[in-house]
Amino acid sequence: MKTNKNTAKEISKKAKEKQQTILDSLKNHGAKIYEDLENGQFPKFSIPSRSVSNIVYDKKLRQYILGNSTALRSAKNSAQLRSFTQLMWLAFFANRLTQEKKSSTLRDVYYSSQAFAIEFEDQSESDNIIVDLEAVTSRPREDFHIFPEERSSIFGDLNIEYTIPGYEGKTMNLSNHPDGYSIGPSLTTAELVDTSAEIVIAIEKGGLFTRFVEEQVDKKFKSIIINTGGQAPRSTRTLLKRLHDEMGLPVIILTDGDVYGEHIAMVIKSGSANAAHLRELTVPDAKWVGVWATDIEKYKLPTIPMTESDIKRCYDLQKDPRYESGIWKKELEVFLRLKRKAELEAFAKYGLTNITDKYLPQKLELAKSL
Amino acid sequence: MSSIKEKFNQISPSEFFYSNRDLAGFSNPTRSLYTAVREFVENALDACDQMGILPEVQLTIKAVDPDKPDPKPYILTVKDNGPGIDAKHIPLAFGTVLYGSKFGLKQARGMFGLGATMAILYGQITTNKPVIVKSSNDAKIQNQFEILLDIQKNKPIIQKHTTKDVSKKGLSVSICLEGDYSKAGNKIRDYVYETSLITPYATITFDDPKGQKFHHPRFVKEIPPPPTIIRPHPHGIDVERIRRMIVESQFEIPTIDDAMIEKVRKDLGLSKQNLSFSAIMTKAKKKWKNLPRQVRVVIALMSFLKMDFEKLNKIRIEDIDVPNKKLYYWDFGESLSKTVEMDPESQYYKQLTNTVQGEPLTTFLTKRFQRVGPTTAVKFAEFAGFKPEKRMGTLTNEELVNLSDSLQKFEDFMAPDSSCLAPLGEEPLEKGIKKFFNPDFTAVVQRPPSAYSGFPFIVEMGIAYGGDIKSGGPHVYRYANRIPLLYDEGSDVVIKVVNDTDWGRYKVKGDPPFIIVSHICSTRIPYKTAGKENVADRQEIERELRLALQFLSRKLAAFMSKRGQAEMAKKRANLYAKYIPMIAEFCTELAGKKKEPNYKKILDDLEPVDIKQTESEPVEEEKPIENQ
Ligand SMILES: Nc1ncnc2c1ncn2[C@@H]1O[C@H](COP(=O)(O)OP(=O)(O)OP(=O)(O)O)[C@@H](O)[C@H]1O
Ligand SMILES: [Mg+2]
Repeated sequence: MKTNKNTAKEISKKAKEKQQTILDSLKNHGAKIYEDLENGQFPKFSIPSRSVSNIVYDKKLRQYILGNSTALRSAKNSAQLRSFTQLMWLAFFANRLTQEKKSSTLRDVYYSSQAFAIEFEDQSESDNIIVDLEAVTSRPREDFHIFPEERSSIFGDLNIEYTIPGYEGKTMNLSNHPDGYSIGPSLTTAELVDTSAEIVIAIEKGGLFTRFVEEQVDKKFKSIIINTGGQAPRSTRTLLKRLHDEMGLPVIILTDGDVYGEHIAMVIKSGSANAAHLRELTVPDAKWVGVWATDIEKYKLPTIPMTESDIKRCYDLQKDPRYESGIWKKELEVFLRLKRKAELEAFAKYGLTNITDKYLPQKLELAKSL
Repeated sequence: MSSIKEKFNQISPSEFFYSNRDLAGFSNPTRSLYTAVREFVENALDACDQMGILPEVQLTIKAVDPDKPDPKPYILTVKDNGPGIDAKHIPLAFGTVLYGSKFGLKQARGMFGLGATMAILYGQITTNKPVIVKSSNDAKIQNQFEILLDIQKNKPIIQKHTTKDVSKKGLSVSICLEGDYSKAGNKIRDYVYETSLITPYATITFDDPKGQKFHHPRFVKEIPPPPTIIRPHPHGIDVERIRRMIVESQFEIPTIDDAMIEKVRKDLGLSKQNLSFSAIMTKAKKKWKNLPRQVRVVIALMSFLKMDFEKLNKIRIEDIDVPNKKLYYWDFGESLSKTVEMDPESQYYKQLTNTVQGEPLTTFLTKRFQRVGPTTAVKFAEFAGFKPEKRMGTLTNEELVNLSDSLQKFEDFMAPDSSCLAPLGEEPLEKGIKKFFNPDFTAVVQRPPSAYSGFPFIVEMGIAYGGDIKSGGPHVYRYANRIPLLYDEGSDVVIKVVNDTDWGRYKVKGDPPFIIVSHICSTRIPYKTAGKENVADRQEIERELRLALQFLSRKLAAFMSKRGQAEMAKKRANLYAKYIPMIAEFCTELAGKKKEPNYKKILDDLEPVDIKQTESEPVEEEKPIENQ
């Protein structure tokens, strides 16, 4: 049985501190703007530039980060005035959410804006401003209680304690419901108490997730199973990170045997260029165990030909510094050679449970040496 | 020389115009009422202009029977404060076609000697009423005529002639004519209104048949400098005109009557003395230099006749046969025709030759045309294949045509003199535009004089934007010799030039509120019809119009981009006013404050925006782009 490295008291203290720093940060920004106005000046602030030229790979952190260049946002610039105001509103709105511990989705934000006569042309405009707020405060939106709609799920012997209003102190074991538990705001903000699991298995697809639960992979391999639902959402990545950091669990990743699967694993491991303004979303020690391109030959899996865009994606990734060595490099090359790909379901060729009976144990074994 | 007493020339009969009255603008009751107004108002303004009088023109239209439906008879009266006309010219000026005083080369509204008479004629045809003309040219006596026209004979029939004591100069014309005011009213009001823009020094009032009064007081106190009468330019001449000029230039042999003899005596200082023939000749030789031409001709005749004054009194010269050197005369005393030989060596022979055969070509050219010097005249003679001393009186028909053609083709004549033109001037034009439209932007330009086929012309143009101007522009106000042109604009050269302009290039977009005022001044406006409504597209005129419009459009473009900037600034200010308070609201809660920050200062510090034209705006003069 693993317990959280931190005591329950420490956890709630830490959570409160975190909330307080977020509120302080928002307050500081607000105060600066207030001061500017009071002094008869157009308010301004600087924001790390998110332009392609300012996104660099940090080898030490093993993720993409923003470089040093910043952009000045000024209310004097009439072209920026509107987005400036939108950002101010968002900070104001996030401040309320955080204080009241209410959560909202990206879509909620888009609609809430209308109550304040702040027009967003569409949701992508408001999403963009949310990224701005993340960049200014260097905090993920989830810290401001803003969550995406997409849900992934979790299953396994893990006890958690809720912190959201109305559920504070309630505990839950995440192996009680075989469909799994969706990773939403309440789970993301819950405290992780203890677990008997010794590993986290992140799997790309819901179908396989269900199979794994059915086949009791959680028990057989003492694991927590997480369905990333394709590219893992941020809340899922945060949870993965916490399971790794707080509970000391290793993380392995199983994806389809194609270039997109390979990249899903990479994003969990070291983040995406899109979120270069954020840290604490990566699990650098996570291991991608399959399905590799070499597995396709090794297991003689049924394949489908790669599409034009699959091939193009391979070449694109070859330019990414993270794909310059190790299995990342090797598997890309094999994909390009084979020009074919295989899905996780392909193992069904050898029987429905082949993947959990044969393939998974082999890979778990292999993971130890990776 | 009396430039004041206009010279009346009667040049051709009238039947043609009676059957072609459509051409002159008398096609239907609507158009005719409008045209009649125009003709009389323009005559009044012309008369005042020529005498440098600030015009006061009163136009009145009254229905004979107001209750009748249109079209119906109206009484049209136009009264002016001009010079009036000498009583004996009145019946001719108003009672015959092609009788006018404006054929001389200078800018005037009237051109054909036709307008007034056509209006009167139309009135007479439709209502059978005479024209009533009241005129005083001395501010003492007013002559009042009632005249009917004899159309076949092109002759006035005076029905009544009375006089009356008055204290003011001026002329008033009144006709009764069939018209349709309900349809023509708009155009007539527009005409009066637009006339007052191009004639800012005139006061014009209009009493319309519905009892409405339109008063357009003058807003410029000076009349633009009057044009001078000038001789024609060789390029602007045709065979007919040359023929007429030759007739004028050929000296007639004076009739030797009592008056003539008396004059010769007087000029020789011999009024009281009866000298012998040879004594007279001696005296004449001494005084020769100071003698007028007619007297010289009489002396020359006497030298061959060898007669004193007493004998001269009893004969009549019949013919002078220069080639055969013979002089024929009729002797009253003997009732006989007699002949004397003329000595070709005699200086008197030369005098007679000059008289009979007319001037040499070079003299004709330098004396009768503008811009032709002796050197040019000789060069031209060579070009046309004439001897420079060729006598004008001896030209055959063929030679005449050749001369006319050559005058057109010869390229070394200097450009026509433009002193005969009277443009309004940039300043009054601008003043008028500003007064009429209260625009945000105005620009005017007067192009340098140019010429087409020997007729000088000047283009004046103005452009204005914004203010009281209606959108949907450009609205084009066309003028020619200070006449507004309201009909037939589709085929007009000005419209063509305006339509050819790509306004987007000058930053004028959408449904712009802007106007163009175009004024063409010329001794001969190339109207398409005698109705004087649209100007034909002569290449030279079109070019000048284009250059003027390009120049103004560039100024407008400069204004528009400035205005665009100002509008941007205004938009920006609006943005600030909208968003800064919001930012203040949000940051107040974020910062945990109670009171909002004082952001008013920021908004107040924003620069005030003005989108009116600034007075001292220097607009760069660019080289005109020509797009032919
Ligand atoms: N109000 C007036 N005062 C003085 N003279 C006038 C007046 N009206 C007309 N006249 C004289 O009568 C003449 C004939 O006028 P009319 O309108 O027929 O011809 P026009 O003005 O010379 O040429 P157009 O046919 O182009 O109008 C004029 O040339 C002018 O000399
Ligand atoms: Mg006239």
